[in-house]
Amino acid sequence: MSFRENLEGLGEFWKEFRRSTLGLVGLTILILFVLVGSFGQYLIPFPGATENWRNIDFWQDNPQAAPPVWTNLPWGTQAASSEFLTDAKTETDELDGGVKQQTWTINYNFTADQAPRDVIFAFAGIGQVPVILSVTRPDGKTIEVSREQMDLVEEQLTRFSVTNTGAGKVIEFIRGEDAEIATSMLADIVKPTRLLFSKIASDMETNPVMLKGEYVFTIKALYLTENSKVENPTVRISGFVSGLMGTDISKRDIFTGIIIGIRWALIIGLLTSLITVLIGVLLGVIAAYFGGKIDWVINRVYEYFYLMPIIPFLIVIAAIFKITIWWLIALIVIFFWSGAFKPVYGMALQLKEEVFVEASRALGASSWRIILRHIFPMVLPYSFAVMALSVPGVIVYEATVSILGLGDPSIVSWGQILHDAEGQGAVINNLWWWVVPPGLMIALMGMSFVFLGTALDKILQPKLKTR
Amino acid sequence: MNDNKPHYFEFDDQDVVLEVINLQKHFPIRRHASEVLAGAHPFVRAVDGVSFQLRRGEILGLVGESGCGKTTTGKMIMKLLEPTHGSLVFNGEDVTHTGKGSEIHYRRRVQMVFQDPYASMNPRFKVKDVLEEPLLIHKVGATKAERVQKIRAVMEKVKITPYEEYSERHPHMLSGGQRQRIATARTLILEPSVIVADEPVSMIDLSTRAEILHMMKTVQREMELSFLYITHDISTARYFTDRISVMYLGKIMEIGPSDSVIDQPMHPYSRALISAVCEPVPGKANELKVLPITGEIPSAAKIPAGCRFHTRCLEAMEVCKVAEPELLKVGKQHYAACWLNTDEETRRKSREQAVAQLESRAKTA
Repeated sequence: MSFRENLEGLGEFWKEFRRSTLGLVGLTILILFVLVGSFGQYLIPFPGATENWRNIDFWQDNPQAAPPVWTNLPWGTQAASSEFLTDAKTETDELDGGVKQQTWTINYNFTADQAPRDVIFAFAGIGQVPVILSVTRPDGKTIEVSREQMDLVEEQLTRFSVTNTGAGKVIEFIRGEDAEIATSMLADIVKPTRLLFSKIASDMETNPVMLKGEYVFTIKALYLTENSKVENPTVRISGFVSGLMGTDISKRDIFTGIIIGIRWALIIGLLTSLITVLIGVLLGVIAAYFGGKIDWVINRVYEYFYLMPIIPFLIVIAAIFKITIWWLIALIVIFFWSGAFKPVYGMALQLKEEVFVEASRALGASSWRIILRHIFPMVLPYSFAVMALSVPGVIVYEATVSILGLGDPSIVSWGQILHDAEGQGAVINNLWWWVVPPGLMIALMGMSFVFLGTALDKILQPKLKTR
Repeated sequence: MNDNKPHYFEFDDQDVVLEVINLQKHFPIRRHASEVLAGAHPFVRAVDGVSFQLRRGEILGLVGESGCGKTTTGKMIMKLLEPTHGSLVFNGEDVTHTGKGSEIHYRRRVQMVFQDPYASMNPRFKVKDVLEEPLLIHKVGATKAERVQKIRAVMEKVKITPYEEYSERHPHMLSGGQRQRIATARTLILEPSVIVADEPVSMIDLSTRAEILHMMKTVQREMELSFLYITHDISTARYFTDRISVMYLGKIMEIGPSDSVIDQPMHPYSRALISAVCEPVPGKANELKVLPITGEIPSAAKIPAGCRFHTRCLEAMEVCKVAEPELLKVGKQHYAACWLNTDEETRRKSREQAVAQLESRAKTA
């Protein structure tokens, strides 16, 4: 069987495959998954999320348990969405006495019907730097939310939250506008962002009217010493809706989690089913061909793993060892090879009685030669179908095991996301966006492989029957 | 092993390439609960003591009804089945139970043509792959070019030419006759000394049968091969073979030169087989013949006592029910196992002996 011949066979196979709509749908979804899985890190809004999925600091500027942005229906109230504003304009002035002053301005177009939860100024830098943070509203008024000397440490983000520490300054600003309104305001109670983003009125605290339009956030730094500096200033708007799929209770972006979960789903699904089917097919052929004691032993081992419930077994294993994803894959392989074994065993039993196998034996062919040249190629097409069909089972298994808390917590898999959702009461708290997307993705990936497997099965089975 | 050779082995060891001595194959069958409890091990005696000699350059026919054990005999000779009892002697060497080392040597010298040429080739292989397989197994021809040359030569021998046209075809792209030619070529490519042909033309159109047999006979003469031709078709056997042995229920009933056996059959079973052959006589084609045989072939699990053919024989006598006849010389190189070929006195003595034996066995039991 030459290489060219294999290519021809492949072409023929593709012609037949193209006729199956189901197969094409499955293949398209799978290709999409593979593409997104490989280039996902360029799509996600939070680069570096893979390594920082369980790092609380990484997610601290996100709103907690915020629904997806598209829950802002066109006819309903528009909740402010979370945004990262990084587009900063900068200019440097020389002041009297040679002191340098650097100013950044970041524009923000505010159109929501509700004020955001928080506005966070974040920047990196070195040295003791006096920093002034201010907001200029569309009505031309400027609020200085902070003016203090900040101790900047290299490679550490300095954050200033208007909600947490800006209340006093905001009330001060209102008092400057209209002392009457501000008398009843207490720094511990007011919501500073609400005051910041609404028109000045007597009932602005209880019934605010939003002041929509262009806001400008200004960061002004004074460099008193030579090597002090401020870098990469950003303003983070923490809204009430966030991202394509919302956030969870730990403030993590679920869309990011879903995208980085694709890779693990593919790795677990494909790798496990490949090894599983390979072992199952090999043992099936060996047991059937050699028969006798080998057959008996392999069949008893098969029955053992077939009947053994995997979940209680895994619970015990997880209680004793720390299960990594590779161990989990190995365990699933140990339990799942039995799926491919029996059908292949049956087929090989039939094949070994074929006259051409007998003819080959009469010619003096060794057992391994017959297995590799005559029996293996005959069961191989079927094995591909079995492989495709076993992928969803494996993915669901990883998810099941993860939901039970027996998975590898160091990876981001859909099962792990569901496990967190289950553990933190997503369903009770009506955080549907935390549960539905990973569940749907598991179903979608499973579906793509089932479609592929069914199409393969249809193409390969009749050939098998008619040889 | 050579000391218990049957008395009818009359050919010199020099001439003989393969000897089969008292070959038996018993297959165990599924037991009833009662048999399991009784500790009985019932079995089918598919082949029940077959002995013959195959000379160099000779074609020996093995003829009989379906189920008489002729294919099982062929498979045991091919070492595809392990004999329950008996031995195979190849060129004076006992090869019944050989280890892997010498078995490969035997396999190279003894080849088989199967009944269904299509089933005997891997449907995924091309003609050139089918023919290359024996060369690869026996490591004949060091380079691809050498092997292709051998394949080309053997395809010419079986008249499948040109090489370019057929080498790339799959078995299903060949006609039945061409397939059997390729199957024959596969056996010839290793230059064997014995070929076991198990009904090689029964799956082939009547029109091409003679052609295939003719081709086989030509290569047999050219290469001085010994052929064991297994068939149920006595008319092709007459055309093709030098000697014929007639098998019934796992045993040889009659053996001798083809013309002699067919023209003067000395066993009622042979007579029945021969008269069953259709003769295309004008006006008589639709007439049913009355055959000199009754009943059906008994199960090989319950072989009748005495002569195994007596239940169906029109000429059965008292002795036939108790004593099994031996192969007796009835002509030149011609032997038959039937009491009809003995005189009254012998039959009476044999019958008394057998009855006495049965009685003594019944007593001890």
